[in-house]
Amino acid sequence: MKNTLFSLRNIRVRGGLAYPDTDIYAHRLTVVTGKSGCGKSTMLALLNGTLDPEQGTVSYKGKDIRKTAPLELRHEIILVPQKIWLFPASIEENFREFYRLLERPQPNAQTIRSMLEKLGIDKAPDTACTELSGGERHRVYLSVCLSLKPEVLLLDEPTAALDHENARKLAELLKQYSEKQSIVMVCHDQSLFEYADEHIHLEKQQLSAKDFS
Amino acid sequence: MNITDIESHALMILQFLSIYLLLFVVMLILRAGKIYKSRELFFSSVMMTLQLILAGMILTYLFQNPHPLFCLAYLILMISLATRRILAKAPALPKPFLFRVALVFIAAALFVSAYFILIVARENLFNPQYLIPITGMLTGNAMTGFNIALKTLHDQLKTNADQISCMTMLGVHPKKILHPFINNALETALIPTINSMVSMGIIILPGMLTGQILAGALPNTAILYQVSITIAICVTVALSVYLGLHLGQYTLYGRNLQIRL
Repeated sequence: MKNTLFSLRNIRVRGGLAYPDTDIYAHRLTVVTGKSGCGKSTMLALLNGTLDPEQGTVSYKGKDIRKTAPLELRHEIILVPQKIWLFPASIEENFREFYRLLERPQPNAQTIRSMLEKLGIDKAPDTACTELSGGERHRVYLSVCLSLKPEVLLLDEPTAALDHENARKLAELLKQYSEKQSIVMVCHDQSLFEYADEHIHLEKQQLSAKDFS
Repeated sequence: MNITDIESHALMILQFLSIYLLLFVVMLILRAGKIYKSRELFFSSVMMTLQLILAGMILTYLFQNPHPLFCLAYLILMISLATRRILAKAPALPKPFLFRVALVFIAAALFVSAYFILIVARENLFNPQYLIPITGMLTGNAMTGFNIALKTLHDQLKTNADQISCMTMLGVHPKKILHPFINNALETALIPTINSMVSMGIIILPGMLTGQILAGALPNTAILYQVSITIAICVTVALSVYLGLHLGQYTLYGRNLQIRL
């Protein structure tokens, strides 16, 4: 039995992008694919409420997301962009800073270590983030987001900076998470599609101004 | 004015005109550094000279015919031009932001001027000899403070776009996201004022003090005025930039808490 998590209906966004009516289901690993410029990242921003559609409705659990408090929505549905950002501090301090900004109780050292281990980061928590590689930095940010236990995690090309082995490990981990949380992931790596429960393929639908009625 | 007076006046103007020769040094430096700002430097010098000559004529008339309406008209002109210059230097920031900046700038400059004249100098508020130069100094410095602050804020919002979008997507409140950028802009705007206070008297003699001494005022009197005006400048810059940035930041995001870059 599939539970509908998100519904996109008659969506048009600024710049002329249009989306087909789509449903995304709970407790699934949904992979979104499509050519560059077809609006994959934009779709994630629509689901996270950081972009409003020009026309149409995005519903989350049956409710128009514009009628939900924006911060509550984003705490529940975290979007990890392709270009992540970390404080120029240690891994542990990054956890603490993000938790402080979100007004969450501080995580203990054990939680931080266990998250790093799950994401395959074999660095001590006091390692400066400036010393990490691009892929490691991405996984540190992802570990912070996963530790916040969102109901939905939206990931924009999370494996782009990873080698094949680490990409597979991450996909396996996300598959496990999708049993309790829902994951929507933009991905180009076809070898990882086997982990997906659902697959949304977007075609570029460019509309002219007169189509916006 | 007899012929001797006219001759000596003309000689004095000629002496002062010789200062313009030094501008060629600046032009040579700009040329050596391949900084193509010579035309701007030339026009700025011409504008400054014409504006000051005009100001001198108007002030002479105002001092001879003091009237609150004339003072108000001069103030409106001065503050409007300064506001226009602040807004013109930050075209990329949203209009509602700049509107708040303009309101705060005008309110802070007028409030500190009134305090200075009524409480410190104990003079009539509409005495043109006090109202115009003091408000002029305060608006000039607050304008520079705002120019620095708005440029710093705009540059930071642009260069830290990844940080801002990452935190927005994580669900951090825009006020918390913008806080370090607002603070940085305020700090940068205050640096010239605070630096000049630290070095004043020993390393540098400020323009107002030098001007008063050259015009024949006693150094002690000039120093009293300099201390008061320096503190007034510091307060005007800090108050106006702080309030302008803090009130303006709310216009950088809407009800949906998306930061507009």
